Amino acid sequence: MKLAAPSATRVTYDQLRWMSVCLALALAVHAASLPIWLLATIAAAIAIRLALSARGYAPPSRAIRAVVSVASIGILFLQLRTFNGVAAGSALLSLVAGLKLFETDSRRDLYVVALIIYFLSLAALLRSESFWLLTYLLAVSWLTSVTLLRLTQSTQPSPWRRSARYAGRISAQALPLALVLWLFFPRFDGPLWHVPSDGHSAETGLSDTMSPGDITDLALSDDIAFRVHFDGPPPPARERYWRGPVLHDFDGRSWRRTIAVRSQAHDLVPTGPAYRYLLSLEPHQHNWIFALDWPDRWDLADAYLTNDDMLVRPALLSHPLDVNVSSHTRVQSTEPLSDAMRRRDTRLPAERNPRTRQLALELRRTHPDALAYVDAVLDLFRRQPFFYTLEPPPLGLNSVDEFLFDTKRGFCGHYASAFATLMRAAGIPARVVTGYYGGTYNRFADYWIVSQSDAHAWDEVWIEGRGWMRVDPTSAVSPGRVESGLEGPLAAGSHLAGRWGQRFSWISDARLQLDALRQLWRERILRYDLKSQDRLLTDLGIPQPDGQKIAMVMGAGLALVFIWLTWHIRREQRPDPKDPVVRAYRSLCRKLAAAGVPRRPSEGAESFAARVGVERPDLGDNVGMLCRRYSRLRYGGHRRTAQERWFVARVRAFRPRRT
Amino acid sequence: MRSLRELATARIRAWSARRHGADALPVKIERRRIYILPTRFGLMLTALLVAMLVAGLNYSSNLGLVFAFFMVSTVLVAMHHCHRNLLGLTVDVKAEVDAFAGSDAAFYFMLRNESAVDRCDVEVRLGTATDSPRMIVQATRSVAIGSYEEVMLAAPVTNRGVSRWNQFELRTTYPFGWFRAWTYVHAPLTAYVAPSPRGNRPLPPAAAVAGDSARSDSRGEEDFAGLRSYAPGIPLKHMAWKTLARGGEAAVRVYTDPAARPEWLEWSSLHGLDTETRLSQLCRWITASETGHAPYGLRMPQIDVPPGRGPAHRSRCLRALACHGMPRP
Repeated sequence: MKLAAPSATRVTYDQLRWMSVCLALALAVHAASLPIWLLATIAAAIAIRLALSARGYAPPSRAIRAVVSVASIGILFLQLRTFNGVAAGSALLSLVAGLKLFETDSRRDLYVVALIIYFLSLAALLRSESFWLLTYLLAVSWLTSVTLLRLTQSTQPSPWRRSARYAGRISAQALPLALVLWLFFPRFDGPLWHVPSDGHSAETGLSDTMSPGDITDLALSDDIAFRVHFDGPPPPARERYWRGPVLHDFDGRSWRRTIAVRSQAHDLVPTGPAYRYLLSLEPHQHNWIFALDWPDRWDLADAYLTNDDMLVRPALLSHPLDVNVSSHTRVQSTEPLSDAMRRRDTRLPAERNPRTRQLALELRRTHPDALAYVDAVLDLFRRQPFFYTLEPPPLGLNSVDEFLFDTKRGFCGHYASAFATLMRAAGIPARVVTGYYGGTYNRFADYWIVSQSDAHAWDEVWIEGRGWMRVDPTSAVSPGRVESGLEGPLAAGSHLAGRWGQRFSWISDARLQLDALRQLWRERILRYDLKSQDRLLTDLGIPQPDGQKIAMVMGAGLALVFIWLTWHIRREQRPDPKDPVVRAYRSLCRKLAAAGVPRRPSEGAESFAARVGVERPDLGDNVGMLCRRYSRLRYGGHRRTAQERWFVARVRAFRPRRT
Repeated sequence: MRSLRELATARIRAWSARRHGADALPVKIERRRIYILPTRFGLMLTALLVAMLVAGLNYSSNLGLVFAFFMVSTVLVAMHHCHRNLLGLTVDVKAEVDAFAGSDAAFYFMLRNESAVDRCDVEVRLGTATDSPRMIVQATRSVAIGSYEEVMLAAPVTNRGVSRWNQFELRTTYPFGWFRAWTYVHAPLTAYVAPSPRGNRPLPPAAAVAGDSARSDSRGEEDFAGLRSYAPGIPLKHMAWKTLARGGEAAVRVYTDPAARPEWLEWSSLHGLDTETRLSQLCRWITASETGHAPYGLRMPQIDVPPGRGPAHRSRCLRALACHGMPRP
């Protein structure tokens, strides 16, 4: 083991340690996607190098380094099979950074590590939309800059706090420039070349099946499903049904979605006002768009209505999506129901739920009219002791039977399922619709938040001559039988703030404000694209902006910021002329010049005082004291007003004789 | 590769000299004389930034773009700060110094920072004396707000004569090492390189009489001739205590005794030796006489230096030796 020879460009333990901290912080965001052994290798390499450096040893010999590098990169390649793509590239870069730290000897090695830290930060952001991740990584890059600042200084590095402040000031001055680049840097429509997509992580949300208990899970989640901004007044609370998957196939326990085809005819006739709104959908793993019942028009070219009135698009919503939709909350169907659809929506599994079928037949006998039968079933829910609960007892294969006759406790899914079964058993076409109900108004930014806890299930029944009619059996349950903490569709209010929010309104307010910020973040940052840039430029008075115009605007913006920056830096440099201490010192110099000892431009206070001491020994003591006091006041760090006043008074009283 | 780079540097330097003309010291460094270019690290960073932008655009990742733009802006602002680190700095240097062949010419640079920001890591470089182009000496200093720093550069000089440097350079890579800002100060620096003091001939006899130390203690008859730095061995009674008490450097008073007979150091007394040996011996005598008390003079074929004492006088004598037989600059 070799002792490190001293050299000006050799890194110190302190520099090595800080760069290791920066690398560790940047690696932390990749840790979940990196193999454990890789993290362990990097940690070990850094630890060994730090331990060597702390004892003043040089890095390990070239042979050891070569073996470690070749072995670890080889293993990584065998595991990943590629170094292409963000994940594999990040893994390789992380390893290279660790190996580089391992062999770090001169400053140049640490420069490479700094560059890798910057790139790892970027790689983490490529697939992310998190404000906090961005904030964190900006902080990491600031810390890296502080480390670089201290690394570059070959003279005694300034105190840590001062370096931190200086790097912070440079970062702050970079913000206006970054804003100009952000707004006007030319954007492209779509990627420059195709990038391999990584698998998506599972996200919560509705699925295309519904079993008892499914929606209960969602009810506990505060995740946002989508946000809505209405142009004009929103529809009344009881009409805010956001349509999701429509389920047709029932096996006695679960409802399933059958493959729906694009609707051929648009057979819905509006009977109420139209509502226009902007939907901002969070990503989910399906292709449906939660439009307000019933969507009529939308500004998404590839989206279409299915023959069960769902708004869908061909691709999955793996990224947030904004779409303008117009809906009518009240419609009528004019077309008759096709035989195929009638068969599909009256089918029940033959051997399941016999008691329910029996009940349906009995009820239907006394209520031959379809609407009267619907009312009778709702009346059943209303009169009998049905409870609405988040914790229903488990149900078996004949789930509807057990629910209707035994447990009588359930969530919206149970009611929708039981109601549809009762309808179908009586020969009335019925289907279960899942989606969201209600939403929370954010009064801080005029939009509605629909979260996963607003997930809901209801039914649609076919009434001859009227078409599909929405029936929400859950709303038939008496509000007195709602178990603690649940509001659901029974009280169209906020789920978002949860139980606590109702008792402490400031908590729900704070959450709403936070969400308003989140929405702003999403609109202004995450969704900023070619279209937004065009809009912005048009607003600035540049119609039909093309590449050349955008480049000119960006150039002009950059020039303005540069002028500001130059002016700002200049102003920073200039000593404050209003400073009483500086003014007093200038007056002292003038008095001494009049007395025959002018200060030379290249002389500082102390050397000037020394010369005065030689040339005018009679003034030396007094001037020496004043100049020392001046240096201390001006460059000593803290100011004391009493001492400042004293200094100014002494300078005023100073009257040198001419020789 | 290296020579190519040197060639380019020389070109830039010559161009800058034509552009700015000669400078009068002290020089306050203004905007138009500061040049700035990325360092090797800066070039690597630039390549990285391009990669970042392409990645951000290609993955249509707005956060990636935010980060890339932030980094680009930081680099551009850092460029301003690097430039600013030299801007407004005042530099002064004593342009003519004495030196002995085979040792160093010591140039004292004064960096003054009259602004309200620190100037960190300013490197003063002196290279390319006209006769020894490969030699570069440098030193790095930080100059705090409103203060000054003295930087001594010891440029090795090998041959007797007059060594000239046409310019010196100030450079900095502060704050992050991404850019290098530099400026040339086109003020000629001259080192009068006296021969190295050698030879063991005794001082001329007349001088030996004059050097009789018994009289020189009678202070009343001596004139104060100035101060010079203290060196071990000088009697403490000549110490300039007041200067020391005021925080100045240790200095001793130099007195001249007008009554003492001047000693003449004569070129002609050293016949039989070759020129350089003669000059070396004269140089030895001068350094020896300076520590005595009697005034001394130098008599050379072309030039006579009348008797005197003190640093200025010594310097005149040494320069006479340095310039002997050299073409006038």
